[in-house]
Amino acid sequence: MLLRGLTALVLFQLLGTLLNVLWLSFLPGPIIGLVLLFIFLVWRGEVDEPLAVASTSLLRYLPLLLVPAAAGVMLYGPVLKANFWALAAALLLSLVLALLFTGWLMQRLIERQQRREAP
Amino acid sequence: MSADWQAAWQAVIHHPLFAFGLTLGSYQLAMAAYERTRWVFLQPVLVSMALVIGSLWLLDIGFEEYRRHSELLTLFLGPATVALAVPLFMNLKRIRLLFWPVLITLVLAGVVATVLGVGLGWLFGVDQQMLMTLAPKSVTSPIAMLVAAEIGGVAALAAVFVLLTGVLGAMFGPELLRLIGVRHPAAHGMALGLAAHAVGTARALQEGEECGAFAALSMSLMGVATAVVLPLVVALIV
Repeated sequence: MLLRGLTALVLFQLLGTLLNVLWLSFLPGPIIGLVLLFIFLVWRGEVDEPLAVASTSLLRYLPLLLVPAAAGVMLYGPVLKANFWALAAALLLSLVLALLFTGWLMQRLIERQQRREAP
Repeated sequence: MSADWQAAWQAVIHHPLFAFGLTLGSYQLAMAAYERTRWVFLQPVLVSMALVIGSLWLLDIGFEEYRRHSELLTLFLGPATVALAVPLFMNLKRIRLLFWPVLITLVLAGVVATVLGVGLGWLFGVDQQMLMTLAPKSVTSPIAMLVAAEIGGVAALAAVFVLLTGVLGAMFGPELLRLIGVRHPAAHGMALGLAAHAVGTARALQEGEECGAFAALSMSLMGVATAVVLPLVVALIV
Protein backbone atom coordinates (compact mmCIF):
# COMPACT_ATOMS: atom_id res chain seq x y z
CA MET A 1 0.00 0.00 0.00
CA LEU A 2 2.60 2.48 1.21
CA LEU A 3 5.05 1.43 -1.49
CA ARG A 4 2.49 1.71 -4.26
CA GLY A 5 1.62 5.25 -3.21
CA LEU A 6 5.28 6.15 -2.79
CA THR A 7 6.01 4.87 -6.30
CA ALA A 8 3.23 7.08 -7.66
CA LEU A 9 4.68 10.12 -5.88
CA VAL A 10 8.16 9.38 -7.21
CA LEU A 11 6.77 8.92 -10.72
CA PHE A 12 4.97 12.28 -10.57
CA GLN A 13 8.14 13.98 -9.38
CA LEU A 14 10.20 12.34 -12.17
CA LEU A 15 7.59 13.40 -14.70
CA GLY A 16 7.96 16.91 -13.28
CA THR A 17 11.72 16.75 -13.70
CA LEU A 18 11.27 15.59 -17.30
CA LEU A 19 8.98 18.53 -18.12
CA ASN A 20 11.30 20.88 -16.24
CA VAL A 21 14.24 19.97 -18.47
CA LEU A 22 12.20 19.87 -21.66
CA TRP A 23 10.04 23.00 -21.54
CA LEU A 24 9.40 24.44 -18.08
CA SER A 25 12.87 25.39 -16.92
CA PHE A 26 11.53 28.16 -14.64
CA LEU A 27 9.46 25.73 -12.52
CA PRO A 28 11.18 23.27 -10.13
CA GLY A 29 10.44 19.60 -10.92
CA PRO A 30 8.65 18.77 -7.62
CA ILE A 31 6.31 21.74 -8.14
CA ILE A 32 5.36 20.50 -11.61
CA GLY A 33 4.85 17.07 -10.04
CA LEU A 34 2.57 18.62 -7.41
CA VAL A 35 0.46 20.38 -10.03
CA LEU A 36 0.25 17.23 -12.18
CA LEU A 37 -0.82 15.13 -9.20
CA PHE A 38 -3.41 17.75 -8.30
CA ILE A 39 -4.82 17.72 -11.84
CA PHE A 40 -4.86 13.92 -11.71
CA LEU A 41 -6.79 14.00 -8.40
CA VAL A 42 -9.34 16.48 -9.76
CA TRP A 43 -9.80 14.22 -12.80
CA ARG A 44 -10.22 11.12 -10.62
CA GLY A 45 -12.45 12.99 -8.16
CA GLU A 46 -11.02 11.14 -5.14
CA VAL A 47 -7.77 10.14 -3.45
CA ASP A 48 -7.26 6.38 -3.61
CA GLU A 49 -6.00 4.51 -0.58
CA PRO A 50 -2.31 3.93 -1.51
CA LEU A 51 -1.79 7.57 -2.39
CA ALA A 52 -3.52 8.74 0.80
CA VAL A 53 -1.37 6.41 2.93
CA ALA A 54 1.90 7.40 1.26
CA SER A 55 1.27 11.13 1.34
CA THR A 56 0.10 11.11 4.96
CA SER A 57 3.16 9.13 6.07
CA LEU A 58 5.59 11.24 4.08
CA LEU A 59 4.07 14.56 5.18
CA ARG A 60 4.14 13.46 8.83
CA TYR A 61 7.94 13.38 8.58
CA LEU A 62 8.24 16.52 6.50
CA PRO A 63 9.90 18.49 9.35
CA LEU A 64 12.58 15.79 9.66
CA LEU A 65 13.27 15.92 5.92
CA LEU A 66 13.78 19.67 6.18
CA VAL A 67 16.46 19.49 8.88
CA PRO A 68 19.57 18.72 6.74
CA ALA A 69 18.62 21.40 4.23
CA ALA A 70 17.91 23.97 6.94
CA ALA A 71 21.24 23.19 8.65
CA GLY A 72 22.81 24.83 5.59
CA VAL A 73 22.28 28.19 7.34
CA MET A 74 25.59 27.52 9.11
CA LEU A 75 27.32 28.52 5.88
CA TYR A 76 25.61 31.92 5.85
CA GLY A 77 26.57 33.37 9.22
CA PRO A 78 28.35 36.46 7.82
CA VAL A 79 25.56 37.33 5.32
CA LEU A 80 22.98 36.99 8.07
CA LYS A 81 24.96 39.14 10.47
CA ALA A 82 25.45 41.86 7.86
CA ASN A 83 21.72 42.02 7.07
CA PHE A 84 20.34 41.10 10.48
CA TRP A 85 18.29 44.16 11.46
CA ALA A 86 17.05 44.83 7.95
CA LEU A 87 15.93 41.21 7.59
CA ALA A 88 14.30 41.12 11.03
CA ALA A 89 12.41 44.36 10.40
CA ALA A 90 11.28 43.29 6.91
CA LEU A 91 10.10 39.88 8.13
CA LEU A 92 8.23 41.21 11.14
CA LEU A 93 6.57 44.20 9.46
CA SER A 94 5.52 42.34 6.32
CA LEU A 95 4.16 39.50 8.42
CA VAL A 96 2.00 41.76 10.58
CA LEU A 97 0.71 43.82 7.65
CA ALA A 98 0.01 40.81 5.42
CA LEU A 99 -1.73 38.95 8.23
CA LEU A 100 -4.00 41.87 9.11
CA PHE A 101 -4.75 42.66 5.46
CA THR A 102 -5.69 39.03 4.72
CA GLY A 103 -8.00 38.77 7.74
CA TRP A 104 -9.64 42.12 7.06
CA LEU A 105 -10.17 41.45 3.33
CA MET A 106 -11.58 37.96 3.88
CA GLN A 107 -14.00 39.25 6.52
CA ARG A 108 -15.21 42.05 4.22
CA LEU A 109 -15.73 39.63 1.32
CA ILE A 110 -17.63 37.13 3.48
CA GLU A 111 -19.91 39.87 4.80
CA ARG A 112 -20.55 41.11 1.28
CA GLN A 113 -21.46 37.64 0.06
CA GLN A 114 -23.78 37.11 3.04
CA ARG A 115 -25.54 40.44 2.40
CA ARG A 116 -26.08 39.46 -1.21
CA GLU A 117 -27.51 36.05 -0.39
CA ALA A 118 -29.90 37.41 2.25
CA PRO A 119 -31.25 40.71 0.85
CA MET B 1 48.21 -3.99 23.10
CA SER B 2 46.62 -0.58 22.88
CA ALA B 3 43.43 -0.16 20.94
CA ASP B 4 43.48 2.82 18.59
CA TRP B 5 40.65 4.84 20.11
CA GLN B 6 41.37 7.85 17.98
CA ALA B 7 40.98 5.91 14.71
CA ALA B 8 37.84 4.18 15.96
CA TRP B 9 36.27 7.54 16.94
CA GLN B 10 37.09 9.04 13.57
CA ALA B 11 35.63 6.00 11.79
CA VAL B 12 32.39 6.45 13.72
CA ILE B 13 31.87 10.17 13.24
CA HIS B 14 32.82 10.07 9.56
CA HIS B 15 30.64 7.06 8.75
CA PRO B 16 27.82 8.00 6.33
CA LEU B 17 25.25 6.76 8.83
CA PHE B 18 26.53 9.18 11.47
CA ALA B 19 24.98 12.18 9.72
CA PHE B 20 21.74 10.24 9.33
CA GLY B 21 21.75 9.15 12.98
CA LEU B 22 22.62 12.64 14.18
CA THR B 23 19.66 14.07 12.26
CA LEU B 24 17.25 11.38 13.49
CA GLY B 25 18.43 11.77 17.09
CA SER B 26 18.26 15.56 17.06
CA TYR B 27 14.79 15.46 15.55
CA GLN B 28 13.47 13.09 18.19
CA LEU B 29 14.96 15.20 20.99
CA ALA B 30 13.39 18.31 19.48
CA MET B 31 10.02 16.58 19.07
CA ALA B 32 10.12 15.41 22.68
CA ALA B 33 10.96 18.92 23.89
CA TYR B 34 8.13 20.37 21.79
CA GLU B 35 5.57 17.82 22.93
CA ARG B 36 6.46 18.26 26.57
CA THR B 37 6.40 22.06 26.58
CA ARG B 38 4.08 22.89 23.64
CA TRP B 39 5.98 26.17 23.24
CA VAL B 40 5.38 27.41 19.74
CA PHE B 41 8.90 28.82 19.40
CA LEU B 42 10.38 25.37 20.07
CA GLN B 43 9.59 24.39 16.45
CA PRO B 44 11.11 20.92 15.92
CA VAL B 45 12.81 21.95 12.67
CA LEU B 46 14.50 24.98 14.25
CA VAL B 47 15.55 23.11 17.40
CA SER B 48 16.90 20.04 15.58
CA MET B 49 18.66 22.31 13.09
CA ALA B 50 20.40 24.07 16.02
CA LEU B 51 21.31 20.70 17.58
CA VAL B 52 22.77 19.44 14.29
CA ILE B 53 24.79 22.61 13.70
CA GLY B 54 26.07 22.55 17.29
CA SER B 55 27.13 18.90 17.02
CA LEU B 56 28.87 19.38 13.68
CA TRP B 57 30.73 22.34 15.12
CA LEU B 58 31.76 20.48 18.29
CA LEU B 59 32.90 17.40 16.36
CA ASP B 60 34.61 19.50 13.70
CA ILE B 61 32.68 17.93 10.79
CA GLY B 62 32.32 20.15 7.71
CA PHE B 63 28.86 20.99 6.40
CA GLU B 64 29.76 19.61 2.97
CA GLU B 65 30.37 16.17 4.49
CA TYR B 66 27.15 16.32 6.51
CA ARG B 67 25.18 17.40 3.45
CA ARG B 68 26.56 14.54 1.37
CA HIS B 69 25.79 11.98 4.03
CA SER B 70 22.27 13.21 4.77
CA GLU B 71 21.34 13.41 1.11
CA LEU B 72 18.93 10.48 1.46
CA LEU B 73 16.63 12.59 3.67
CA THR B 74 16.83 15.62 1.41
CA LEU B 75 16.05 13.43 -1.60
CA PHE B 76 12.66 12.57 -0.12
CA LEU B 77 11.73 16.25 0.05
CA GLY B 78 10.79 15.99 -3.65
CA PRO B 79 8.08 13.32 -3.31
CA ALA B 80 6.95 14.97 -0.06
CA THR B 81 6.41 18.21 -1.97
CA VAL B 82 4.44 16.33 -4.64
CA ALA B 83 2.37 14.80 -1.82
CA LEU B 84 1.19 18.30 -0.83
CA ALA B 85 -1.29 17.97 -3.72
CA VAL B 86 -3.33 15.53 -1.61
CA PRO B 87 -4.19 17.92 1.27
CA LEU B 88 -4.75 20.71 -1.28
CA PHE B 89 -7.30 18.58 -3.10
CA MET B 90 -9.03 17.49 0.13
CA ASN B 91 -9.26 21.09 1.38
CA LEU B 92 -10.56 22.47 -1.91
CA LYS B 93 -13.52 20.13 -1.80
CA ARG B 94 -14.74 21.81 1.38
CA ILE B 95 -14.95 25.42 0.29
CA ARG B 96 -17.53 25.52 -2.49
CA LEU B 97 -19.55 27.96 -0.37
CA LEU B 98 -16.89 30.64 -0.01
CA PHE B 99 -15.16 30.09 -3.35
CA TRP B 100 -14.99 33.73 -4.49
CA PRO B 101 -13.98 35.30 -1.17
CA VAL B 102 -11.20 32.70 -0.89
CA LEU B 103 -9.96 33.21 -4.43
CA ILE B 104 -9.97 37.01 -4.29
CA THR B 105 -8.28 37.03 -0.89
CA LEU B 106 -5.67 34.56 -2.09
CA VAL B 107 -4.73 36.64 -5.12
CA LEU B 108 -4.75 40.08 -3.48
CA ALA B 109 -3.32 39.12 -0.10
CA GLY B 110 -0.81 36.74 -1.64
CA VAL B 111 0.57 39.54 -3.79
CA VAL B 112 0.56 41.95 -0.83
CA ALA B 113 2.41 39.48 1.42
CA THR B 114 5.11 38.77 -1.15
CA VAL B 115 5.56 42.35 -2.37
CA LEU B 116 5.67 43.67 1.21
CA GLY B 117 8.39 41.20 2.19
CA VAL B 118 10.60 42.02 -0.78
CA GLY B 119 9.74 45.74 -0.80
CA LEU B 120 10.46 46.30 2.88
CA GLY B 121 13.67 44.28 2.60
CA TRP B 122 14.74 46.44 -0.33
CA LEU B 123 13.80 49.60 1.57
CA PHE B 124 15.94 48.53 4.53
CA GLY B 125 18.90 47.83 2.25
CA VAL B 126 18.91 44.02 2.07
CA ASP B 127 21.04 42.70 -0.80
CA GLN B 128 19.68 40.98 -3.92
CA GLN B 129 20.36 37.39 -2.84
CA MET B 130 18.63 37.95 0.51
CA LEU B 131 15.67 39.65 -1.23
CA MET B 132 15.16 36.57 -3.37
CA THR B 133 15.33 34.52 -0.17
CA LEU B 134 12.68 36.72 1.47
CA ALA B 135 10.27 36.52 -1.47
CA PRO B 136 8.76 33.10 -0.69
CA LYS B 137 8.64 33.61 3.10
CA SER B 138 4.85 33.24 3.28
CA VAL B 139 4.97 29.75 1.79
CA THR B 140 5.37 26.39 3.47
CA SER B 141 9.08 25.45 3.82
CA PRO B 142 9.59 22.73 1.17
CA ILE B 143 8.05 24.92 -1.53
CA ALA B 144 9.80 28.04 -0.25
CA MET B 145 13.18 26.31 -0.50
CA LEU B 146 12.59 25.21 -4.07
CA VAL B 147 11.32 28.63 -5.10
CA ALA B 148 14.15 30.49 -3.37
CA ALA B 149 16.75 28.31 -5.06
CA GLU B 150 15.00 28.77 -8.40
CA ILE B 151 14.96 32.59 -8.29
CA GLY B 152 18.50 33.03 -6.94
CA GLY B 153 18.03 33.02 -3.17
CA VAL B 154 19.38 30.68 -0.51
CA ALA B 155 17.23 27.59 0.16
CA ALA B 156 18.47 26.97 3.71
CA LEU B 157 17.82 30.55 4.80
CA ALA B 158 14.41 30.56 3.14
CA ALA B 159 13.43 27.60 5.33
CA VAL B 160 14.51 29.49 8.44
CA PHE B 161 12.72 32.73 7.44
CA VAL B 162 9.59 30.72 6.75
CA LEU B 163 9.72 29.06 10.16
CA LEU B 164 10.37 32.30 12.02
CA THR B 165 7.50 33.96 10.15
CA GLY B 166 5.27 31.03 11.04
CA VAL B 167 6.20 31.06 14.72
CA LEU B 168 5.65 34.82 15.11
CA GLY B 169 2.41 34.71 13.14
CA ALA B 170 1.06 31.85 15.21
CA MET B 171 2.06 33.53 18.49
CA PHE B 172 0.57 36.96 17.86
CA GLY B 173 -1.74 36.50 14.84
CA PRO B 174 -5.06 35.69 16.53
CA GLU B 175 -4.74 38.56 19.06
CA LEU B 176 -3.76 41.07 16.37
CA LEU B 177 -6.70 40.01 14.19
CA ARG B 178 -9.15 40.39 17.07
CA LEU B 179 -7.66 43.80 17.80
CA ILE B 180 -8.66 45.16 14.37
CA GLY B 181 -12.11 43.56 14.62
CA VAL B 182 -11.70 40.45 12.44
CA ARG B 183 -13.99 37.85 14.03
CA HIS B 184 -15.13 35.39 11.37
CA PRO B 185 -13.33 32.05 11.91
CA ALA B 186 -12.83 31.63 8.15
CA ALA B 187 -11.11 35.04 7.99
CA HIS B 188 -8.88 34.13 10.95
CA GLY B 189 -7.97 30.84 9.27
CA MET B 190 -7.30 32.44 5.91
CA ALA B 191 -4.97 35.00 7.49
CA LEU B 192 -3.09 32.47 9.62
CA GLY B 193 -2.61 30.00 6.79
CA LEU B 194 -1.63 32.57 4.19
CA ALA B 195 0.77 34.59 6.31
CA ALA B 196 2.04 31.93 8.73
CA HIS B 197 1.60 28.63 6.77
CA ALA B 198 2.10 25.35 8.67
CA VAL B 199 2.75 26.78 12.15
CA GLY B 200 -0.15 29.20 11.70
CA THR B 201 -2.36 26.34 10.57
CA ALA B 202 -1.55 24.36 13.70
CA ARG B 203 -2.55 27.40 15.77
CA ALA B 204 -5.70 27.90 13.70
CA LEU B 205 -6.75 24.31 14.46
CA GLN B 206 -6.63 25.15 18.17
CA GLU B 207 -9.01 28.06 17.50
CA GLY B 208 -11.58 25.75 15.95
CA GLU B 209 -12.34 23.39 13.11
CA GLU B 210 -13.56 25.94 10.55
CA CYS B 211 -10.61 28.21 11.29
CA GLY B 212 -8.20 25.27 10.87
CA ALA B 213 -9.76 24.11 7.63
CA PHE B 214 -9.44 27.54 6.04
CA ALA B 215 -5.88 27.89 7.29
CA ALA B 216 -4.91 24.56 5.72
CA LEU B 217 -6.63 25.59 2.52
CA SER B 218 -5.02 29.02 2.24
CA MET B 219 -1.62 27.55 3.13
CA SER B 220 -1.73 25.00 0.32
CA LEU B 221 -3.24 27.43 -2.20
CA MET B 222 -0.66 30.10 -1.34
CA GLY B 223 2.12 27.50 -1.65
CA VAL B 224 1.13 26.30 -5.09
CA ALA B 225 0.24 29.76 -6.40
CA THR B 226 3.58 31.18 -5.27
CA ALA B 227 5.51 28.21 -6.62
CA VAL B 228 4.01 28.65 -10.06
CA VAL B 229 3.76 32.45 -10.30
CA LEU B 230 6.82 33.78 -8.46
CA PRO B 231 9.54 32.16 -10.64
CA LEU B 232 7.65 33.39 -13.72
CA VAL B 233 7.43 36.95 -12.43
CA VAL B 234 11.08 37.00 -11.40
CA ALA B 235 12.11 35.58 -14.79
CA LEU B 236 10.16 38.39 -16.50
CA ILE B 237 11.49 41.23 -14.32
CA VAL B 238 15.13 40.34 -13.74
